[in-house]
Amino acid sequence: MFEIEYGDNGEVLCRGRLDAAQCEKAQGFMDGLEGASTLDFADLEYISSAGLGILLKTQKRLVGSSAGLKIINVNNHIHDVFRYSGFHTIFDIEAKE
Amino acid sequence: MRRDFPRNLDSLSPLYEFAEEIFESNDISPGVRFPAHLAMEELFVNMVKYNPDVPTDITVEVTVTFLGEATNDAASSKEVTVTLVDDGGVEFDVTAKRQVNIDAPLEERTPGGLGIHLIQNLADRLEYTYKDGRGEVIFTKGSGNEDV
Repeated sequence: MFEIEYGDNGEVLCRGRLDAAQCEKAQGFMDGLEGASTLDFADLEYISSAGLGILLKTQKRLVGSSAGLKIINVNNHIHDVFRYSGFHTIFDIEAKE
Repeated sequence: MRRDFPRNLDSLSPLYEFAEEIFESNDISPGVRFPAHLAMEELFVNMVKYNPDVPTDITVEVTVTFLGEATNDAASSKEVTVTLVDDGGVEFDVTAKRQVNIDAPLEERTPGGLGIHLIQNLADRLEYTYKDGRGEVIFTKGSGNEDV
């Protein structure tokens, strides 16, 4: 299961598992983001390369308009996936406390 | 334990539940579960993507091996093996090294190849065989070697 919605402070809350079967839902939401945006991964348990592709596509679009994604509360498993993918150099990422 | 899954992305959720039940009953650590789930998805999706018209299901087997003597730290002595069999598909060697530049600037990045790159880095062992149209991939990850 994967859920994505706006939080009370305008951040984007992602929950569950972002796998290849959830890409359409995630991409549809991400395509609506404009300007600098914060993704809160506190309740995101899992992401695969399909989800990484969505983040990459969104980041390219937003950076093109001088904005970008900040990803916060990243669990250690997803953080290491980001590290192996080199995402720590192209995203503003904050690990979960 | 072995099960056949229809060749489409709707199988990802049942595939996760199938493996998670095995991991739960064997008290597999999160540091092994995560890469094992990741490998299963990436390999399964690859088989769906590259062999969409093959009529056969994809067979997935998950086994847990207990290594050496049992210890108080039970999680330190288990190894998970995930085997995927694609009968009738084209050859796709997932152990072959691919050009993925993880240091490239954003404008040069593409998502292609990241999945295989990840499982090559996360696996303790990754094996591939292909014979007479039958491809088999074996991903192995043991506790004590957790990366994630």
